[in-house]
Amino acid sequence: MSVTEQIVVEAWAPEYGSPIETESLDPSGATVDVEVEVRSADWDPVDVPVGLRPSRVDFTDGVRRIDARVWLTGADGTTRPGICASYAAGVVTCDGRATIVVAEVRRGLFGPAGAPELTTQAGAYAPIAAAGQDLESLSQALQERMIELEIEAAESASRKVGTSEADARDRLLVADGPLRGRQHLTGAIGYIKTHQVGYLPEALTPVVAALKPGQRTPLFLTQTTWSRYSWYLRLPGGAGHPWSGVVRCEASTELPLEDARFRADQSASALPEFAAAAHKDPRAPQNLYPIGGLERELRRRLGDSAWVYRALRTSAARWVPGKAGARG
Amino acid sequence: MSTVDPSDRSDGSRPSASERASFVGRVIGTEDSTPLDFWVALAPDRSLQLDDVVALERTAPGRDTVRIFGIVTQIRARHEGARFDSDVFLIEDGVLPAEVTEAAHILATRFEPEVFIPPLPGQAVRRAEGEERDEALFFDGMEQKLAAGLSREDEPVYIDLEFLDGTRGAHVNISGVSGVATKTTYATFLLHSLFTGNHLGPEAANTKALIFNVKGEDLLWLDRRNTGLADEQAERYRHLGLEPAAFRSVRFWAPPVRGAETPVPDTGSRSDGAVRSFFWTLADFCSEELLPFLFADVEDDRQHYTMIVHNVAARLKKDSTALPDGGVTFDGTALRTFVDLIDFIRARVEDPATQQDWAGPAIGTGTINAFVRRLFGARKHVEHLIRGGVQRPDRHRIDRQSQVTVVDIHNLNDRAKRFVVGVVLRKTFEEKERSGLARPLLFVVLDELNKYAPRDGSSPIKEILLDVAERGRSLGIILIGAQQTASEVERRVIANSAIRVVGRLDSAEAGRDEYGFLPVALRQRATIAKPGTMILSQPRLPVPLVLEFPFPAWATRPSEAGPPARSESGASDPFAGIGERDLVAPRDR
Repeated sequence: MSVTEQIVVEAWAPEYGSPIETESLDPSGATVDVEVEVRSADWDPVDVPVGLRPSRVDFTDGVRRIDARVWLTGADGTTRPGICASYAAGVVTCDGRATIVVAEVRRGLFGPAGAPELTTQAGAYAPIAAAGQDLESLSQALQERMIELEIEAAESASRKVGTSEADARDRLLVADGPLRGRQHLTGAIGYIKTHQVGYLPEALTPVVAALKPGQRTPLFLTQTTWSRYSWYLRLPGGAGHPWSGVVRCEASTELPLEDARFRADQSASALPEFAAAAHKDPRAPQNLYPIGGLERELRRRLGDSAWVYRALRTSAARWVPGKAGARG
Repeated sequence: MSTVDPSDRSDGSRPSASERASFVGRVIGTEDSTPLDFWVALAPDRSLQLDDVVALERTAPGRDTVRIFGIVTQIRARHEGARFDSDVFLIEDGVLPAEVTEAAHILATRFEPEVFIPPLPGQAVRRAEGEERDEALFFDGMEQKLAAGLSREDEPVYIDLEFLDGTRGAHVNISGVSGVATKTTYATFLLHSLFTGNHLGPEAANTKALIFNVKGEDLLWLDRRNTGLADEQAERYRHLGLEPAAFRSVRFWAPPVRGAETPVPDTGSRSDGAVRSFFWTLADFCSEELLPFLFADVEDDRQHYTMIVHNVAARLKKDSTALPDGGVTFDGTALRTFVDLIDFIRARVEDPATQQDWAGPAIGTGTINAFVRRLFGARKHVEHLIRGGVQRPDRHRIDRQSQVTVVDIHNLNDRAKRFVVGVVLRKTFEEKERSGLARPLLFVVLDELNKYAPRDGSSPIKEILLDVAERGRSLGIILIGAQQTASEVERRVIANSAIRVVGRLDSAEAGRDEYGFLPVALRQRATIAKPGTMILSQPRLPVPLVLEFPFPAWATRPSEAGPPARSESGASDPFAGIGERDLVAPRDR
């Protein structure tokens, strides 16, 4: 390495890693079409027209927590692993005030098919069959359930929005994480904070580095197991390296290109004001304030983990086969 | 929201509409809940303010339902969901979700029955009104209630008379900085409440008050209606069951004008002849042994000259012969002024021939000089108060024929003030002692207690005040004492006061042990109390109450004074006719 000119401290707290692990991302295996909005020769940071900020921005997010790992022994003597987990999802509406309009908590016993319901003082753990027995499968099942709950929460929040087209255009729904499975929600965009793979060809990555806060890249179409429009956008508050404060957003390909572009512009004009300050969030600026607030509230609603653990142990110890809901 | 429905009643029945209306919130579990204090989170759209009274019920296993009452001493509002101070801007900008919550700190006042268990988190709390409020504040158990003021909600606040009239306790002590604490005004309001509130029954007519006016001339208009009294203030009196009227029977006494030949009262603004002048004759001075009252530290054993004081006082009593005009003679030498008397005393203690008899045996010259110096030091302050050569000296002797006797000492020097208060109190005390009857009661109002009964040192007047504080309860002398700073007043005087009242306090003073009866929040409030606001502590209640008292219905300065009360309600005055003629001041004759 040549002489060090500058040292920049990563804005994210070390335990969260970094939003980007290396400057040159591994190329993804995806098919990427960078010319859906502009020709690749014309790729440049896009300035967003003023006045596009919607009057209502909704954010949806979910949290999950493994409360305990359990072992289930069947009548045949085989013992299988499972997890008792709590998960929650909710929606924050920002329309001048930030209000948590939906917050749902669920608890589940993820394990082999035919697992019983476990009733505890902290609530009932509904049986949910996982595809496999290893922790990864169980965890995957939990993740899927949480996404389902997020969709449920977003749908319930969407029902409260006016049905006219003008109303729908004036509301943006930001879903934390990939948009997959949520494409059907009106006005929804996916919001991805970390970058594991590079979607853009090497020649276009300098455009990302050149983004100023509030600017976005042109749209590009990505096709893996599913397809979506993507764009990068830079939030204010990042400092130092070329990818600081950069997030990737996704919009459904079911939208006409014009609408996808509209949502992209909307996101670039709306999201910068929600970017967190470094001292207030360990994942600033990418972890937006409303999402941070919602996550804290959802985690709180999961209940005290030590207490939930105790309730689980009590109920498990008093377990009577065939008699569901042995109350502790 | 489920928080609004107080449906967790112990008997499982549905709450009534009125119960739902009085519901204010629930006991919180994030702060300790104890039998002494607990916190209540307010439900949305419900509010409580300081001094509000609340109630709740709790059922303990194996016991009857316990009703718990309390009073709001602090309320806090905060953002939930915010972690940094600056989050407030994000929340107000609509970026960060958060909720505003209010919680009230409650000090428990009463448990019915007395099972001291903490309220449980989650229990519904309601506002206590009407009878329930009376119960919470123990007003229901008071056989005789004295109206002491109004709460912020204009509800009456009472004092249990049993703790004032000597039955179970006596004496009131009022603290507060001068000017804004309105201590004397509150003391007179209490007297007014006693006299017009029908609390004492038939005895009220014979109950009397002796007020020392130590500052300003506020108290020289007690007998005149306050023309500036607004209707709503008059209404507050009626709400308390009191009459918005001036004191009916008052006699004012003021010292004579200094240096004047005839004893004309030094009345300041009150010049309508209602004020009489008071003084003591040389004959009284000698026969009643008033000499020690001229010396502040005469009981201090470290002072040698005090022995001379007692010797001389005894000599004066023994050797003097009274003259009809108030003067005295010693072996044919007639003395008619205070100066004559102290010159005579000086000659006797300094003359080697008489020194042994007057000063006492083996007294050094230095000690005699100390005595003489102090005696002459008193001269210019008291010479107009101790005199001879006057007509009808008995007319200038302070009597207590009226219901209220006001002794004006505000323009006397401290030394003279101590002399007057000491002598008047001793006389009063001795008379009460002789009568052997506690009833009718005599209330003595004295401000600036720190001057008369200071924490340190000893003096004849302090001894008398201690006597009043400790034995007055059985003798029927009730002291309503006041001072700026309780920390400077003899502990036993304050300790014997059953009722303690605090107005505006200096913040350094509020932190002292003497105000230990005030919970922290009330101490803080005492430092910002407005005129007319008092904090009252009484033995019945474990928590002091904040109260307001109405504007005086009697005049406190000439511009407010209405026409003489006599012309308005002469017939109903139980004292009408007594000494009517005597109220004409000497100078008018």
